[in-house]
Amino acid sequence: MPILSLQRVRKDYITDGDPVPALREVSLDVAPGEFVALMGPSGCGKSTLLNLAGAMDFPTSGAVLIDGVDTSALNDAGLTRLRREKIGFIFQSFQLLPALSVAENVELPLMLAGRPEARQTALDRLRQVEMEAFAARLPYQLSGGQMQRVAIARALAPAPKLLLADEPTGNLDSSTGETILQLLRRIARQGTAIVMATHSAEAANITDTVVRLRDGRVEAIAAPCPA
Amino acid sequence: MPRLILFHRLILRPLRREPARTLLTVAAVALGVAVVLAIELAGSAAAGSFRSSMETLAGAADYEVTTAGGIPAGVLTRLALLQEPLKLDPRIEDYAVIADRRRTVPFLGVDLLAHRPPEGPSDSASFSRQDSIWTGADLGYRTGDRVRLLINDHANEYTVRGVLGERSGEAIVMDLAPATRILGRAGRLDRILITGPAPLDLLQRAAGPGITVAAYGSRTAENRRMLAAFRWNLRVLSYIALVVGAFLIYNTISVSVVRRRAEIGIVRALGAPRPAILAAFLGEAAALGLAGGLAGILLGRAMAQGAVGLVAATVGSLYVSSTPAPIELTLATSLLGVALGVAVSVISALAPAWEAAQVPPVEAMSRGRRDHQVRVHSLRDLAFAAVLALAAWIASRQPAIDGKPLYGYLAAVTLIAASALAIPALISGLTIAGAAPLGRLFGAEALLAVRSLAGSMRRTAVLVGALSTAIAMMAAVGIMVGSFRQTVLLWMQDRLQADLYLRPASPAGADRHPTLAPEVADRIEALPEIAAVDRFRAYEITYQGMPATLGAGDARIVARYGARPFLSGANPRSIFAAMPGRDNVIVSEPFANKHHVRAGDTIGIALAGRPVRLNILDVYYDYSNERGYIIMDRSTLLKYLPDPAVSNLAVYLKPAASLESGRAAVERAVAGRKVVVLTNRSLREEAIAIFDRTFSITYALEAVAVFVAIMGVAGALLALVIDRRREFGLLRFLGGATAQLRRVILFEAALLGLLANVAGLILGVLLSLLLIYVINKQSFGWTIQFHWPIAVLLGAITLVYAATVIAAIYPARIAAKLNPIEVVHEE
Ligand SMILES: Nc1ncnc2c1ncn2[C@@H]1O[C@H](COP(=O)(O)OP(=O)(O)OP(=O)(O)O)[C@@H](O)[C@H]1O
Ligand SMILES: [Mg+2]
Repeated sequence: MPILSLQRVRKDYITDGDPVPALREVSLDVAPGEFVALMGPSGCGKSTLLNLAGAMDFPTSGAVLIDGVDTSALNDAGLTRLRREKIGFIFQSFQLLPALSVAENVELPLMLAGRPEARQTALDRLRQVEMEAFAARLPYQLSGGQMQRVAIARALAPAPKLLLADEPTGNLDSSTGETILQLLRRIARQGTAIVMATHSAEAANITDTVVRLRDGRVEAIAAPCPA
Repeated sequence: MPRLILFHRLILRPLRREPARTLLTVAAVALGVAVVLAIELAGSAAAGSFRSSMETLAGAADYEVTTAGGIPAGVLTRLALLQEPLKLDPRIEDYAVIADRRRTVPFLGVDLLAHRPPEGPSDSASFSRQDSIWTGADLGYRTGDRVRLLINDHANEYTVRGVLGERSGEAIVMDLAPATRILGRAGRLDRILITGPAPLDLLQRAAGPGITVAAYGSRTAENRRMLAAFRWNLRVLSYIALVVGAFLIYNTISVSVVRRRAEIGIVRALGAPRPAILAAFLGEAAALGLAGGLAGILLGRAMAQGAVGLVAATVGSLYVSSTPAPIELTLATSLLGVALGVAVSVISALAPAWEAAQVPPVEAMSRGRRDHQVRVHSLRDLAFAAVLALAAWIASRQPAIDGKPLYGYLAAVTLIAASALAIPALISGLTIAGAAPLGRLFGAEALLAVRSLAGSMRRTAVLVGALSTAIAMMAAVGIMVGSFRQTVLLWMQDRLQADLYLRPASPAGADRHPTLAPEVADRIEALPEIAAVDRFRAYEITYQGMPATLGAGDARIVARYGARPFLSGANPRSIFAAMPGRDNVIVSEPFANKHHVRAGDTIGIALAGRPVRLNILDVYYDYSNERGYIIMDRSTLLKYLPDPAVSNLAVYLKPAASLESGRAAVERAVAGRKVVVLTNRSLREEAIAIFDRTFSITYALEAVAVFVAIMGVAGALLALVIDRRREFGLLRFLGGATAQLRRVILFEAALLGLLANVAGLILGVLLSLLLIYVINKQSFGWTIQFHWPIAVLLGAITLVYAATVIAAIYPARIAAKLNPIEVVHEE
């Protein structure tokens, strides 16, 4: 069973009273452990798709199934539970909370979910991204690449089955970006599916599948073509 | 022009984008200004523009002649014999109660033949009739009306013969001769007004020693002087809400600056000079202050209406009878309101506006880093706080200046500043120690709340500062009033030993002592149930240019029954034993403090025109009025003022007689007279009721200050939600439920409340010590024993706490309603 399944998904935004389509008839399956790159020009609907995949937003028509569950059928509490258990988010601008230490940032989703042993799990995840030495620091004391690694550790903290990354290397130089991509590659191998929006061909290259979007439609689904 | 555009873009637009918060800030300033204005207006009406209610029909007199216990008739004759073209206006002054209106009004006996009322008959036969009265224009009677008046201990019907002219107020006037009979004055006058050119020393020589001749209006001036201290204290209290409002303006402008650092940097890079930035933010403060000030005028006018009654009640029971003048909102007061609003706002905004002007054109620093710097400074601030606390302690040891506890207030302000400086250290201390355990105990919400309070230290410090200052004032005044109340209760237990108390039905005041006919006392004394009757008589006197009360009781009876604790701790019996028949007196503590006298000193006063020297045996604790008492034995009083009428009676029952039977017997004995018979218990209850009414204005002022602080908390939390919206959106991405988002805000409010309560209580206790041992002592001269009004404090604090958390409900809902996708991706 796919961990993420979009079935004839349409998403309209209402602008000035008129519906403007951001996604039209998008169908896509992501298998567990699959690393998918979303590519396409700016405004083609990548972020929109990620939001739908993360149950943060809902399709105008069609269905989004996460681990077999239709997101439109869930109430607020159900959605919150779904996000807590199945999904991790990574952002272009890291989005660490400035007032919390590195370890506390990673602990946060676990604490919100009321999971025991939050601190121990957080330290494990930090080790996974080679940041355990920085556990007590505050975000502003880290470099961009380090912040993104912490953000990845945080996304991984509740052991989600699906990781959604919106241009995770967009704010990083290419060599730091490369390290982050390798890290994601490793995570996907360990069984977490990743859907990553990106503009970079190098980034797309290390994935399993490249999905090309244009004007809200899937233009092509293919294996990456090494340059 | 470019400056205006800058002001518009940088300041006005953001203000309009957050109407709720802007409104809250303006409302806080408005309330602060309103309270100050309301107290100013009510104070002027009830105490400031004090006109003795006796000034009616006085005309343009030049001098007035007075003396304690009444002016002997000979004085008038001697003045009349002077070879000067003088107009003499002898009068008797007292109060009457209009029975059906239950209203106390001045009752004057004047020479009607000389005054010629504008209405009614003008023949001496009608003047001299026992039931003829003329009424003041404000009373609304018409000629021919029948009016029932309660005067001293009797009530009678009178006929209105005419209505007096303009400016006659609420006075009731009668001819001198019948008034003398009705009031039982035995030929003594209360005042002689003199109009005409004559040197003061000539008049003084003619009047004789012991008679006070002074420029007309000096009594009024005396009263004004006496009320000045009271108004001063009231005024200081009224500024509390404004001070709390200042914290909030500071917070609002700080938030503006912090939020717009990037914008300021860009504007600076585009060439705006520093003064322009400074001016823009000061302009924001001024605009908020102006709006607040204008709204405050209207609100203040409305609040004054409510306050004037409370102030008048306090003045009446502590100082002097007066009729509150109508409230007048003058242009000057209105300007004062606007000026206050603008000035407080601009001054509070100076620091943050200055900081805004320092923003470098390339603003690279992140907020996290700045707040970190603030945290590092908290230790230095703590050291400053310690220095200020020391300064406060030194100031509190200084004596009063001109009867005003200026150093006491300085100490209070210094203490408040010290606590404001110590608060960041308190917050870091508590949050560093508390974050981990709270997080473990209450989960992610608590951790987030603690961390972000500590993370935006400056904002938190200002909020805690504002709320804790309001709580501290509330606690301080609460402890002071509670201690005072307890002190008075204990004092009454000592002081009020008699079983029954009698006084005329005509209401007494601090300067009003209606009398009972002497035979009432004799009749009661003869009753078989009665063991003793203490006859007490009070006169209004002036001592060293300040009003005071001269009282006389039966020292032998007091020695037998009533303990009267003395400051020296001496045995009351031996002191009372030394009083009968001799010129020995005891004085109350406020009198001793006001006039700097103590046991062993001699004071000189004049009684019925005779100068008398009195030895002070000791000083006794007294809380009944602030004017101060000189107490002598009745035999001494009668030697100088032979009028046997009494002001009130303390009746002691024989041990065998029951209270009911004793009371019934006394009531039978006074049947037909307007006399109030109170049991010991009901007298105490009445006294405490007056006490509570006196302080109700204080409570009202504090409540407004606390309300302003809580409004500030609501506004600040709203700002906080807006500033941290990205964080709240992110929490949704990280699996946070909306309920958890709401709880973060509520938790922050709860923590703010907790910190403010801790800081406020500590500061409050210190301030209460200042109030009790320095400010009150120096202003009013009484010793208050410190007591903890636990129940009141707990109740008030719980209420404030609940209100703080309730203030967070709306911001919390806003936080939960944010669209996470929008707020996370905007940047
Ligand atoms: N909240 C919204 N309201 C209206 N229109 C929106 C909203 N969010 C996105 N859109 C529109 O939907 C379309 C898809 O936007 P989306 O953010 O998914 O693009 P994207 O592929 O992520 O682009 P980029 O690579 O620049 O991030 C765009 O045309 C955008 O203008
Ligand atoms: Mg995008």
